Amino acid sequence: MKKKILATILAASMVMGLAACGGSAGSGSAGAAAPAESTAADAGDTAEAATGEFNPDKDPSSTTIEEIREKLGEEVPVKAGYNLAAIEKSISNEFWRTLQEGYEKAAENVNAVVEINIEVDATTDEGDETGQQTMVENAVNQGVSAIMASPISDANLTTAVENAQDANIPVINVNDGLIAIADYYCGPNAYQNGLLAAEWVSNKLGDEGQVGIVVGMAKAFAARERTAGFKDWIADNNSGLEVVAEQNADWDRQKAKELAATWIIQYPDMKAIFCNNDDMALGVVEAVDEAEADILVVGVDGIGEAYDSIRAGKLDATVDSFPYYMAQVATEVTLRALAGQDVPHVTATPQALIDSENVDKDAAEIIGWTDTKYVAE
Amino acid sequence: MKQLFDKYKREFIVLLATIAMCAIFTIMNSNFLRWSNFLTILQQMVLNSILAVGMMFAIITGGIDLSIGCTFAITGIVVASITVGGGNPIIAIIAGLIVGAVLGAFNGFLVNNLKLQPFIATLGTMSLYRGIAYVVTGGQPVTNVPDSYRNIFNGKMFAGIRYYIIVMIIVFIIAYIILQKTRTGAYLYAVGGNEEAAKLSGVNTVRTKYIAYIICGVCASIAGLVMLASLGSAESTAGTGYETNAIAAAAIGGTRMAGGRGTPFGTFIGGLMLAVLKVGMVVINVDSFWQYVVTGIIIIVASYFEFLQQDVQAFLARRKQA
Repeated sequence: MKKKILATILAASMVMGLAACGGSAGSGSAGAAAPAESTAADAGDTAEAATGEFNPDKDPSSTTIEEIREKLGEEVPVKAGYNLAAIEKSISNEFWRTLQEGYEKAAENVNAVVEINIEVDATTDEGDETGQQTMVENAVNQGVSAIMASPISDANLTTAVENAQDANIPVINVNDGLIAIADYYCGPNAYQNGLLAAEWVSNKLGDEGQVGIVVGMAKAFAARERTAGFKDWIADNNSGLEVVAEQNADWDRQKAKELAATWIIQYPDMKAIFCNNDDMALGVVEAVDEAEADILVVGVDGIGEAYDSIRAGKLDATVDSFPYYMAQVATEVTLRALAGQDVPHVTATPQALIDSENVDKDAAEIIGWTDTKYVAE
Repeated sequence: MKQLFDKYKREFIVLLATIAMCAIFTIMNSNFLRWSNFLTILQQMVLNSILAVGMMFAIITGGIDLSIGCTFAITGIVVASITVGGGNPIIAIIAGLIVGAVLGAFNGFLVNNLKLQPFIATLGTMSLYRGIAYVVTGGQPVTNVPDSYRNIFNGKMFAGIRYYIIVMIIVFIIAYIILQKTRTGAYLYAVGGNEEAAKLSGVNTVRTKYIAYIICGVCASIAGLVMLASLGSAESTAGTGYETNAIAAAAIGGTRMAGGRGTPFGTFIGGLMLAVLKVGMVVINVDSFWQYVVTGIIIIVASYFEFLQQDVQAFLARRKQA
């Protein structure tokens, strides 16, 4: 009898525990475990948000790379022999793989002028928090010039970053988990993701109709900011769009599809569905196709499969945050900081909404990207 | 009739609770009671129920299989690769089922031959199989699965019913036949009830447990086949955390976690209840955060119910004596 009770308690607690944290993998750029009291409700209110914890989307210093170039000059002086460490997450994820390519491209650009080294290191999966910490510690021990880190969580690199700062190594937080004490932050503005998506939907629908939002919950910072941006745009513009449903699908394609299938029956007048990432959007697209419903589907991330789906006329739009250019911006910011320039605390990296009209356009053209001009110091 | 009720008392009670739940959802939003909505519930219970009935076989023998979500993903990847490469859909399906059988048999090997605790053994294979899925695909999804494959499961019959609902029903009927009509079924219950006694009375316990894990793996594969047809693409991260819902469906349906008891009918009702809960909470627009809370409470209450039932029976028996 005792054994049976034990077994049941074990099973029940396991089901509870695992159910609560299951299914967060593969969220692409959508990382960042949020501070619990993150400002979802007052997200539109800069004054209030400023009193809370570090939120790059609301940070008053937030600047784009174009503004930085205008203010500090196009040319970035670089000393030979810099050794930069870029530490990111699982490169089995397309997003991080592209970020790595961006770092490699940046290194190539700099090396055309002066010799430096960028060493990219990544964990094997998106859950290896201590492994990533070890990588940062290693970089500190090697005495690198600067560390560009994309943390798995808000907390896992804190100690390592403190060590880096004790050794006078600047740390640049590149997207995802938020290191509140990092010297600089480079990443896309998740709040603006939502604004872009809402504006696009409004234009397409003549600013009226019911919309649903599929959120990803387990790691909530990016999710909440994207959702808040979407809803705030509607509220701030007195839009005729009406958010009739908002539910979580755990970043899981199948769950998103099932959720959308339920909505399509429940809300026959639903005209658009905004998803917190592309994976879920691709699931929703399947449900919309099956129901032969006329519903716009918008995702966030800009993964390759989303581009293919847009070309095939299935997915309607995605907001791409261009990790390839994010890495190049991060490298530029890092080298400017090392050159002693007054770089703002937060740099918003480029992003743009991709739909059938610009899906085949060159990304550099869409965001108006020009390569950084590096000069030997 | 009375006999049938006695045998399936637990299952009928869960069914009544599910109907009561439907009534509550209908009161809160009359849209709940529509044929199209009922169809959605049926469709959304398919994956979890097929996974759960396989899980039930492992649990009946006193074991568990945490690796089913990963078997599910690997099957999707294998079948997607074959069909995208122009392979025959039927051959792809057979290959998928073989994958499930092999991965299940490996779990059986760990449990039987290496004498590992099922929980630990399958915790290991959960990571191992997931790793294989990542390595094989390099993390890339396999997309554009042809309609010739997808229509086998995803095609529609009369009244909007999709073929995969029939697949689920067939899986449950086969499970029922194995457990209730064959000697193997009796052995499965015997091993879970008391392994030593079963061994002493001549049951080949090793073979029996192998069968349980192979069936569990094959069920995970079937669910993977359905998922692939439904989504048209396979990802290495698919099915993450699905084992927990499968355990929940089996437990709610009266499968005893220590082994020896569990019926396909009960697991079906358990899967139905979870699907009703999931769809119902979306229909009445409950906040996502609360869905976890409610689902958790229902799993705990349903699992505790068994002890409550025993206590009440013991109490009644004592009163009769007195």
